[in-house]
Amino acid sequence: MSVLLQAILNGVMTGTLIAVPAIGFTAIFAVLRYPSFAIAAYVTVGGFAGWFANSLWGAGVLPALAIAFLVAGAAGVATEEGALRRLRPAGALTVAIATIAANLILENVTRFLFGNDLRGYDLPLRPDLRFADLRIGPQQIENVLLAILVMAAVFAFLRFTRYGKAMRAVADNIDLARLKGIDPQRVAVTTLFLGAGLAGVGGVLLAVDTSIDPLAGARILLTVFAAAVLGGLGSIPGAVVGAFAVGIAEELSLLAVPATYRSAIGFAAILLMLTFRPRGILGERAS
Amino acid sequence: MVAYLLFALTLGGIYGLLALSLNLIWGGAGMVNLGLAGFFAVGAYASAIVTGAGAPVPVGLAAALLAGVAAGLVVTFSTLRLRDDYLAIVTLGFAEVVRLVALNERWLTNGSDGISGVPAPFKAALGIAGFNLFYLALVSGIVLVVWALLRRLDGSPFGRALKAIREDQELAGFAGKPVLRFKLQAFAVSAAVAGLAGALYGHYQTYISPDHFQPLITIYIFLAVSAGGVGRPSGALIGAYGVVFFLEATRFVAEVVPALQPVQVAALREMLVGAALILVFYLRPQGVLPERIPPAPRMS
Amino acid sequence: MSHLSTTRRGLMGAAVALAGTLALPRLPHAQGAPIRIGTLTPLTGAGGPYGPVMVKAIKAVVDEVNAAGGIAGRKIELVSEDDQTNPEAGVRAARKLIDVDKVVAILGTWASSVTTAVAPLCWDSKTFLCTVSGADSITALPHQGYLVRTQPNTTLQGRKFGEFCLETGGKRVFFISPQTPFQKSQFDNITLAVKAGGGATGSLIYDDKKPSYRSEVDEVLRFKPDVLILGGYQPDTTVLLRDLYRASFAGKKLAFGYSVNQKLVESLPAEVVEGIFTISPSPAEGSKAYERLTRLIGVANPDPYTTQVYDHINLVVMAMALAGEASGTAIKDNIRKVSQAKGGAKVDNALDGLKAIAARQPVDYDGASGPCDFLDSGDITDCRFRYEQVRGGKIALVKVA
Repeated sequence: MSVLLQAILNGVMTGTLIAVPAIGFTAIFAVLRYPSFAIAAYVTVGGFAGWFANSLWGAGVLPALAIAFLVAGAAGVATEEGALRRLRPAGALTVAIATIAANLILENVTRFLFGNDLRGYDLPLRPDLRFADLRIGPQQIENVLLAILVMAAVFAFLRFTRYGKAMRAVADNIDLARLKGIDPQRVAVTTLFLGAGLAGVGGVLLAVDTSIDPLAGARILLTVFAAAVLGGLGSIPGAVVGAFAVGIAEELSLLAVPATYRSAIGFAAILLMLTFRPRGILGERAS
Repeated sequence: MVAYLLFALTLGGIYGLLALSLNLIWGGAGMVNLGLAGFFAVGAYASAIVTGAGAPVPVGLAAALLAGVAAGLVVTFSTLRLRDDYLAIVTLGFAEVVRLVALNERWLTNGSDGISGVPAPFKAALGIAGFNLFYLALVSGIVLVVWALLRRLDGSPFGRALKAIREDQELAGFAGKPVLRFKLQAFAVSAAVAGLAGALYGHYQTYISPDHFQPLITIYIFLAVSAGGVGRPSGALIGAYGVVFFLEATRFVAEVVPALQPVQVAALREMLVGAALILVFYLRPQGVLPERIPPAPRMS
Repeated sequence: MSHLSTTRRGLMGAAVALAGTLALPRLPHAQGAPIRIGTLTPLTGAGGPYGPVMVKAIKAVVDEVNAAGGIAGRKIELVSEDDQTNPEAGVRAARKLIDVDKVVAILGTWASSVTTAVAPLCWDSKTFLCTVSGADSITALPHQGYLVRTQPNTTLQGRKFGEFCLETGGKRVFFISPQTPFQKSQFDNITLAVKAGGGATGSLIYDDKKPSYRSEVDEVLRFKPDVLILGGYQPDTTVLLRDLYRASFAGKKLAFGYSVNQKLVESLPAEVVEGIFTISPSPAEGSKAYERLTRLIGVANPDPYTTQVYDHINLVVMAMALAGEASGTAIKDNIRKVSQAKGGAKVDNALDGLKAIAARQPVDYDGASGPCDFLDSGDITDCRFRYEQVRGGKIALVKVA
């Protein structure tokens, strides 16, 4: 029983790592209607930006998160404005493919600047706390709290600010939004900044938990997709629910499936979900 | 030097088959396959396993075609009714699962060691130079046949129906086309061609392993098809040979940009591949050979 | 805009260069023409943390030899290609090295899959191949002598790991590793050694692309191991070590010298890595080559791959000097005459070797990774192992045995 509970607990912690970039991915999808594969690079860029601030200026986790958000957000906007925007008329699929190319470029920019070595944040690492048979890391609790804080901020932004409302309006119906006098281009830029910035925040959370290198984002890409599809593409609460579902499923699966197939769990989850409930747990439409 | 050219041309042919495979569904029906590397692997392993058990090479190639079809059906089964982005995500995951299976199912695939000694037809009889020539001829011949078949398909009612689906799936459905069945068939044929390419690669290199089939090759093929002109089999072929030339040419970056660490040169080369893809989308959205769209009948 | 035009000029230059290499006949054997040697290491992809410093070590030796006048008056020209940790790309790069650059030898292939894919091209074209790959199957390839490997095979390594576990007082030994070509034989040999000492073993194969291994660690802890052997590479081992620390794993930890290396130690908090034992192939104690290498490249604890490629380039240079000819076949026929000549002068670098060869003395090279004596199969006959331990953020020598 405690084995099961521990696995679920581990899953929740894995889930929080995935949830933040998954929100970024799904937000971009909701507004711009294309799946951005460059999300992996935004995660990496954010992780490196945070690392840079941490090791050069001794920044703590919170300032590192803020810097990562800004840098990754800027990278996202630069990529969109510099490369992707002109391709929008060619269709979502073309843009999606271009994001793969953009991802390759950004990944190699970080490699060019920082090399392939793993970089760890200069932060103390603490052993887990124990409750009866269960263990949980103080760092993970912090990560969970930070992730919840970030998510709360995102929800508040979407619900209460002008930009947030405009984003939701564009996501719901772009023509209607235009009629209401909302400029879709400005909304697109805001979304990109928010989405890529969140991916960057996820990169810092990931790097604080592990370490950062040019492939760090690519390694979690599939799990992020799985979370977003599971929750329903384009649904932000869905991405959160999906991230926890994938996290828990991955950890639980270790009790039954060889550990080396862990990456396949997300894929199996996507296939099952698409077969039986294509719109995902909280999504609205899929076809 | 001659050996290098023969090699590049043979590889160009194998990339060409992959490009034809992608072009059929992307150019044809507007579907994308981000897991090309996975289908490439499925074919390579199918043929290596079958010929390893003693079957002749042609049987291996047939097995690769069949394995490709089967894999294609698995992937499309649950996604065809959905928007095309779902298919893109599923195919990406599929390639990763293929790699994991190849890595872990030692009894079938020999695990991370890979399968070496995949039979190279007539290599013993022809010698190294002779084999290289023969294999170039074989691959080029197969490429020609597949190209000719796909061109015919392109102009056939089936091909036109696919394009109708690409332009407007719902409209094509209203017009009475069995949209789902057509998409399924197109994807299956495309997967079979990718599988065939994998088998040809395996018998050429005589060695395959899970490491061979990484996502980068999928990007190369997207570059090939978009540079050549989406929707034109000939364009896809030209693009594939062009990509092999481009990849080899980027090696000389090191000579053009001095005073860089080797790892920075390697990073620059990969950046060039990404930049090339985006530039192609910009400069020639139609590719080298734009699609021929017959003029609409005039209303008089 | 300026960036764009550089790119375009770069491409044009590349095209011209390619056309040039196609058009011009090369005279690689002419007197005074440079001798070309290729490196094929991972600069991108999963092996990315290792390849760059390997190239650096090779380049340092080449510069040294060239500064001293080269081989019989001919300079060495190094051509470095990236195998992208991918045999498909590796084969393309090797084709270019062999057919365009006409290199006499390729050094440093890392991933076993890349080595297995590239080896046939090398023996077909009579190009010499030196590798650091671990899969036992590599030296069983029909390579006709055109391949040597400095990485000890897994039978030897597994036994050493097992015996060392017993030495530290461990009876319950757990092996945790990603899926690698040598994982199974490694574990079998560890088990053999540990069982012979009355102990028990367990193992877990994990997925090396995950951001955390909490549940995997739980499974390790359920076995209650005294000693844990980490079979992974640098990136996944980093993640694993953090999770082990968080779980307060109290047993001993043992790892390959290439995964727990200086860089890993620097990237993790000191308390996470404190006390980890590492094992690497090594020369006998007092060998000068290792110290020389650390000075040459300015890295305090070069990892085993770096020490091995340092030996590759030294051996290849001396073999060609002895043969008086620059070709793969000359290297094949002479490498054992400089690596293990009976009663030969002990040298630990190519410069001393070249002097000895010029003085017509037989040479017996002892390198930075070991004595570098080869069987006909291309495997090393024997090597010592360097046992080290992380102490206070530094990697300290325990013993060489």
